[in-house]
This record gives sequence, C-alpha cells and structure tokens, in this order.
Amino acid sequence: MAKALTFPGGIHPAEHKELTENCAIEPGPLPRQLYVLLSQHLGAICKPLVAKRDKVSIGQKIGQSEAFVSAPIHSPVNGTVKDIALVSHPVIGREMAIIIEVDPQDTQIQLPDMSKISPDFDETKYDPDHICTLINNAGVVGMGGAGFPTRVKISPNPQMPLDTIIINACECEPYITCDYRMMLEWTDKIIAGVKLIKRATKCEKVFIAIEDNKPKALELFAKRLKESKNCQDFQLCAVKTKYPQGGEKQLICSVLKKDVPDGGIPPMIGVLVCNVATAAAITDAVVQEKPLTHRVVTVSGGGINKVGNFYCAIGTTAGDLIDFCGGLNDKAVKILMGGPMMGFAIADLSTPLTKTSGAITILTKKEIGNAKYENRQTPCIRCGRCIEACPININPTKIAHAVKNDMLENAKQYNMMSCIECGCCSYVCPANIELTGYIKTGKILEARRKKLMPE
Amino acid sequence: MLENIKVSPGPHISKHISTRTVMIDVIIGLFPAMLAACYFFRFDAVRLIATCVLSCMATELACTLIRKKKSSLDDFSAMITGIILALSLPASLPTWAAIIGSVFCIAISKMVFGGLGANVFNPAMVGRAFMAACFGTLMTIWTVPATIDQSMPKLSPQGIVAKTMLSSEETVQAITTATPLSWVKDSLKKKVPAVDIYNKQLKAMCLGERAGCLGETSTIAIIIGGIYLLIRKTITYHIPLAVIVGAFAFALIGHMISPDTFVNPVVHLAAGGLMLCAFFIATDPVTSPMTHKGMWLFGVGVGMFIMLIRTFGAYPEGVMYAVLLMNSLTPLIDRLFKLVPAGGKNA
Repeated sequence: MAKALTFPGGIHPAEHKELTENCAIEPGPLPRQLYVLLSQHLGAICKPLVAKRDKVSIGQKIGQSEAFVSAPIHSPVNGTVKDIALVSHPVIGREMAIIIEVDPQDTQIQLPDMSKISPDFDETKYDPDHICTLINNAGVVGMGGAGFPTRVKISPNPQMPLDTIIINACECEPYITCDYRMMLEWTDKIIAGVKLIKRATKCEKVFIAIEDNKPKALELFAKRLKESKNCQDFQLCAVKTKYPQGGEKQLICSVLKKDVPDGGIPPMIGVLVCNVATAAAITDAVVQEKPLTHRVVTVSGGGINKVGNFYCAIGTTAGDLIDFCGGLNDKAVKILMGGPMMGFAIADLSTPLTKTSGAITILTKKEIGNAKYENRQTPCIRCGRCIEACPININPTKIAHAVKNDMLENAKQYNMMSCIECGCCSYVCPANIELTGYIKTGKILEARRKKLMPE
Repeated sequence: MLENIKVSPGPHISKHISTRTVMIDVIIGLFPAMLAACYFFRFDAVRLIATCVLSCMATELACTLIRKKKSSLDDFSAMITGIILALSLPASLPTWAAIIGSVFCIAISKMVFGGLGANVFNPAMVGRAFMAACFGTLMTIWTVPATIDQSMPKLSPQGIVAKTMLSSEETVQAITTATPLSWVKDSLKKKVPAVDIYNKQLKAMCLGERAGCLGETSTIAIIIGGIYLLIRKTITYHIPLAVIVGAFAFALIGHMISPDTFVNPVVHLAAGGLMLCAFFIATDPVTSPMTHKGMWLFGVGVGMFIMLIRTFGAYPEGVMYAVLLMNSLTPLIDRLFKLVPAGGKNA
C-alpha cells in the first residue's frame, strides 16, 4: 500500500484503543427514563411536538424546528412524556429535554437487523431528492462530534457544487472504538450509506479514509468494496495514525492535498466529509425509514469496571450507562462525554447521551497525569511546541495570552477564530497551560460580544 | 463517589513533559561540557560551576521571597543559568566576582522582568556582559588547561617559542596565555601572516586542549550534549544549524578573500563559545523566536554577528554580544513571521 497520507502538525497521544477494540457491539441498558435533549445538533433548537403526559411510540417525531439548519428528534422508545424540563447538556450547560418514561413492557434494546442490507444493495431505486427528504425526516446529523445536520450537507447547493465525498473512518481520538467496531460489524450498512450519499449528491469521487492503525478495517473494506455492487470506483485511503486526522479540514488536507479556505467550510472546495456512523444512520433512514434514535457508544478508561461498545438509546444518561458497566471504581477522577482530547468533562451523571456522543471515557489520575490533574500551570517558556503541534498553523500561546488579558481584538489578529479546538497545543505544552481552554473562552466571549450567545 | 470527580476544559490528557523535565534535559546535555571543563581546569572548574549555580539559585529564591511568590527553584532554570554562566567564565576568575555576576544574572536580567518566561535577554549572557564591563582584566586572563605539560613551549601570535621559567610544576596548575581567538585577532590587527599556526590547532581545539573559558575548550563535548538535546527533542535543529551555517558562511567569505589573514572557517566554528552558543545559549526558548522561520533568521543573525565582532570588533570573541543583539530583535522577528492559518491568504 502507498505511503500513508497525512497533514502538517498534529500529535501522537497514547491510543488506548486496546481496551475496547475487541469488544463487539452489545445492546446497552434500557433505563426507565430517557432524557431526549431538544438540541443535539448544530443549528436551531427544536420545539417539542408533544406535551406532558402524551403517549409516544418508537420512532415518533417529538421535536422539530422550522429552520433549515436543524434536525428533528424522535422518541427511541414507547412510553409516556413525563415532563419537558431543563437538564444538563454535555456541551452547552443546560438545555430543555423531553423526559420519557419508558413503557414497562420494553425491557431491552435490540441490536439493529443487518439482514436487510446486502452487498448487492442497489441505491439507484431511490430518487436523490427522496433520499434527502428521508434523511431529514430521520433527523440524521454528523455523528462524529459536530452534529451538523446531514440534510443541509447533502442537499444540492448551486453556489457550492459538490464533486468529492470523503468518508471519515479515522477515529483518531484516543480510547474511542465505536466507529471501528461498526466498520468491522456493519460494513455493508456503511457501504450502502456511502452509495446513498453518492446517489443523493451526484458526486463522482468517493474516498474512504481509514487510519493505518486499523489494518483489519482496511482489509475488510478493501474486500467488501470489491464484492459490492456499484462501488468499484470508491477509493480506499490509508491515512497516517495521528491526531486530529479525523478533523474535517485535516482529513481533506491529507487525502486531497487541498486546504479549505480559512473560516470556510468544505463545500466551498466541493468536498463533503461524512463520518462512518452517519453513513450507517443514512442507510437506516433511507432503507428502513428508521429515525436516528440509537447509536454505538464506547465506554472506556481506567476508571470504570467494565468497558465495551454499547448500542444505546439516545437520551440514556451517563449514570445509567456507568451503572450498566458496573459503576465507577475508586480511581475514577474524570467523566468525559467523548474522548480525552475533545470530550467534555461532566460533573452531573444525569447528563444524557446525544446523537453526537461517541463515548463515555472515565479517566484515572494516572491517565490524566499529575500536573494536569492538579491544574498546575507554570509560565510560558515560549518554546513553540504548540505552534509545531497546531494542525492549522496558528500561535496558540499568543492567543491564550491575549484572551487572558482581555484583549480580544489582539486574539482575533492572531487568528483565534480559525482554531478547531483539537487540543494539540494544550497536550504538548510543557508549562501545562490550558491553551485550548483559553481559546475556547475567547471564542465564547467574542460570540457574546456579537450577541450571538446569551451572557 | 462523585466527590473525586473534576471538571476542566479539554484536552484531558497531556504529554508527559513539563518545564522541569525540559530543563533537566538541558542540564544533562550540559554534563559533557561540564565534565570536560572539570578535566581540563580541575578545581577551578568545580569551584566556578558550584559558585555560579549556588549563587544563581540563592538569588532566585531571595527574589521570590521578596516578591512573596512561590519559589520557582523547582523548574531548574536558575541552575541552567548558573551552569552556562560558569562555562562562559575564565578559569582563573575569583569566586567573589563569579558571585556578583550570578546575582546580577538572576536579579537584574531575569527576576526584574518577572521571572522565567518574561526575560528579554538571555540571563547568563547579560551576567557575562556585566562582568566583562566591570572586571575587564579578570575576564581576559586565560589559563592553559592543566592537562598540558607546563614545561612545554608555548605558542604565541608571533610564533615565538617561549620556554616557561617555572621551576616547580606542583605550585602552579596552569599558565596564563592567550586563547586561539585572540591570536586570530592579533594576527588580523598586526597583519602577521601566521594563520597556518592556528589552522593546525584544530585538533586540540576540538578535543579541548586550549586556553579559554571553562565551556569553550572541548568542542566535541558540547556537540555530544547538543546531539542529546536534539535526540530528546528538547531543542529543534533550526537554531543550532542556522548559527553554524551563518558563522561558517561569513567566515568562508573572509577566508576566500584573504586566506593569509583570515583563518579557515572550520577553526572559527571550533573556536571560542560558538558551539556552546549554537546548542545551549541561542536555543534558550524564552529569548529566541517561536516560529521555525524566525529561528532561522535568529540563528543566522547570531552567526553573522559573531563573525562580525570576531573580525572587525574590539573583542576577540563575539558570542555574548551577538546573542544579546539578536535577543533584542526577537520580538520583531516574531512579528515579522506572522503565521498564516491553513487555507489562509497565502495558501
């Protein structure tokens, strides 16, 4: 195979994928109550379509927004709406959620039926516009983390015609293996989803990018692509194992050697990047008209008794999942929604899973490191390691200093808004300065100043 | 169970490195040079290194106490300043002078600016500049390494062979003489076409059997330490390479114009504190630029100023002022090379 493709900058954190990479996807817990958040995506927050004490059934649409950039939400179970109230949100603090009391007859989660998808899956029987409509109805969003509504991505936009699809199968974040397991177990479903995206967007080129630390997945995909119908021209690329290889802009740079304009989005250069989990969700949405109500979540880290990859209902709380995995052990010091690089630390176990939660990682003090755990920051020694690690070539320490001293204009001159918040700078900093934290704060202050965000 | 749980912004893991481990690496890198100094200058080297390190650390502690801040000794940066200062002093310097220099280093050029990370100039070089200004004579008395047989004839710029008058070797450790670079300087001034003598000194200069500052003697020991730092990725290759390439290029120009007056560029590289500067002084992250392009410009600038001072300046050696001059330009260099984000204007 050719030399693995890559991008400038980046880091090589310890992967720790060995904890869960051999754990097959298992059904997760079905708690008695689900907290389905009204904001699980980028864009307008949904309005509830149900009221307190309403009966809901599996797959029923329970929240929607009129805005174009949004995605509806659905009930994962049969049950009764107990309340619509504020609950903890992993990213934005607190947000309204529909609290559903699960029907007592529903006791367990079924893994999705794979038998309907075969390598001969023929996408040409679906009309492109119909695919878009079905994807929108199913509330599919980018499941890699950002949660951008998929419908918006694949709907034809005359200003930004698409010609290339890159399927993001990198999973560069340490600990997380949910995408990897899906690639091994749900291969045909993912390939069918890719075919549907290609059909809907009429793109000519398709690349499937897998990090070279997943040789099994690479091999399997190479084999299945050969066997499957209508996908002989899909190109499988091995990309170098490096964080943040799965970042949209970094992946485009690796695969196509092109840069997305600063502050721009991939469609500006005719590229659509789509995560493997999203591709699988698209197949469900189109073939079975099944909305996105469940996802695979990796539970990993040294602070939990049982690790694994679980198929969970969206709205399951972190606490439910942790209890299902035997609870925290004494060494647990941090609970993360997501992986250790870009995940959010939560303090409230009632925080529910969203469509974008790929993992719950429970870290121990040893895994975090003493300095980080004690938040011991020393003065910047200007060593420039953050600049070397930065995949988009900005100067994190200058921005952090500017934000610290309340000089937002200055921070913007150093291209604060270009930051992708990958965390590489904080990771390599010998002074242990929370560079990414300062930059995130700066971006929030800027959004508040522009009145894009409440105080 | 939840009382142990912490929240903080991501990322939640970090590389196992800290300012302290970086500094410890530099100290390890300086070990070969320190050992060489102890071998060639015996007790004087031990005395000066110990004096400088202890007085630098004591000054830093005193400054943090006065400012009622937490002690910053545990980052070991004061220790490095002490070692580098000691390595840039002549072996015969009295202890009291070394103490005054060390106090000035830390108090005036580091702590006044706000401590580690905030100083504009390399503290060790500021301290040395201060001592060169205050104790001019003491700072230019050079001793021949103790390993050289003292009854051996001495070389001097005029090529005169001088037999020492000393009867007992035990009473003296070494004898005052000039450094190779001051010979080079004399030969430039007096236009004595004696460059080939110094060209022949190359082997001795690499191994360390020559007069000079403690850390200037053994070029090989310094390079070993430098390679260690490069392997450990404590420093990047940019500044050392730029200093060496810069100095070599300017020395080569002179040598090509007049090979009789200007010595072989390789002699310049091995002479004086150039290698110590390239690997340990100019690479001080605090006072050098942050971007790779900036590092190149900084390094070439240091190399150029070293050669200009050695060739045309009043001093035989130019490392100290070259580093200080380029330190003062560092903020400007950082402004000059603005980073363009991926997909930005120039992409």
